[in-house]
Amino acid sequence: MASSSSTAVETTTERRGIPGAQFVEDVETYLTQSGLDVNSSLSFLQERLQQYKLVEMKLLAQQRDLQAKIPDIEKCLDVVAILQAKKGTGEPLIADFEVSEGIYSQARIEDAGSVCLWLGANVMLEYSREEATALLQKNLDNAKASLEVLFADLQFLRDQVTITQVTIARVYNWDVHQKRRMREAVTAEKD
Amino acid sequence: MQQGGGSGKEVTWEDQQNINKFGRLNNRFHELEDEIKIAKETNDNLEDASNELILTDEEVVRFQIGEVFAHVPKDEVETRIEQMKEVTGKNLEKLEEEKDSVLAQMAELKKILYGKFGESINLEED
Repeated sequence: MASSSSTAVETTTERRGIPGAQFVEDVETYLTQSGLDVNSSLSFLQERLQQYKLVEMKLLAQQRDLQAKIPDIEKCLDVVAILQAKKGTGEPLIADFEVSEGIYSQARIEDAGSVCLWLGANVMLEYSREEATALLQKNLDNAKASLEVLFADLQFLRDQVTITQVTIARVYNWDVHQKRRMREAVTAEKD
Repeated sequence: MQQGGGSGKEVTWEDQQNINKFGRLNNRFHELEDEIKIAKETNDNLEDASNELILTDEEVVRFQIGEVFAHVPKDEVETRIEQMKEVTGKNLEKLEEEKDSVLAQMAELKKILYGKFGESINLEED
């Protein structure tokens, strides 16, 4: 990358509402271009960092929800699959289910062609076994796809956080460096 | 991971990308450690289950499917547990492999970044 050290590269890209962090090639040029002094630019960068942290919390919460949903859907698919398997044999499925905490009851499930799926919001619909499998599979695929998108968002976000942290460190170091040089220049003058 | 000192070494875009990549790999490493722990637990549970199965003399075993415990003949349960053990075993292997690869990449990046920045950069776990 042939860039002279006096240009600040504009690499801001946005992703689904998350602003990208501008990468700074040269601290001095960055400060003169933005017209901010060291303290203002440090507080601006700190603020950006806080905003990123907030978005990260939100995304992590969404990720946790999805990660909890996926095993649920897989369990439902298992149940429908075993009902499907029992269909061939013609014998009823005997199962113990939880009536209340620690209390179980036995159920005899006859060969049923349909299952009822709980769709949420106090709604339960009856489906044929094949339709139920198809619906559950679709939900599972959607959940997994959303999880992947979320994961990519988090990676992008974390990169922006790292860039911002590095920029803060570099601006601070540059400032320390400047002050030290000025002090040395002053002491040199005095001699 | 912090930077310290006022050495004045400039950070290029390539360096920034290496730092970003290191951060991503580090995160992935921790996620993998958690996943490996869970997979090992599941494996142990399946091991215990199949041991219990050998000891029991009942013909019908209550096998958990979803939220209910279905009455399943012992042989079928054995087959199912074997299948589940195989799946978790393979998963564990895959996770371990990915962990090794991540660690190797992190070591590479550490060499490069310490090479350029030396004392100014800290890439260790705090």
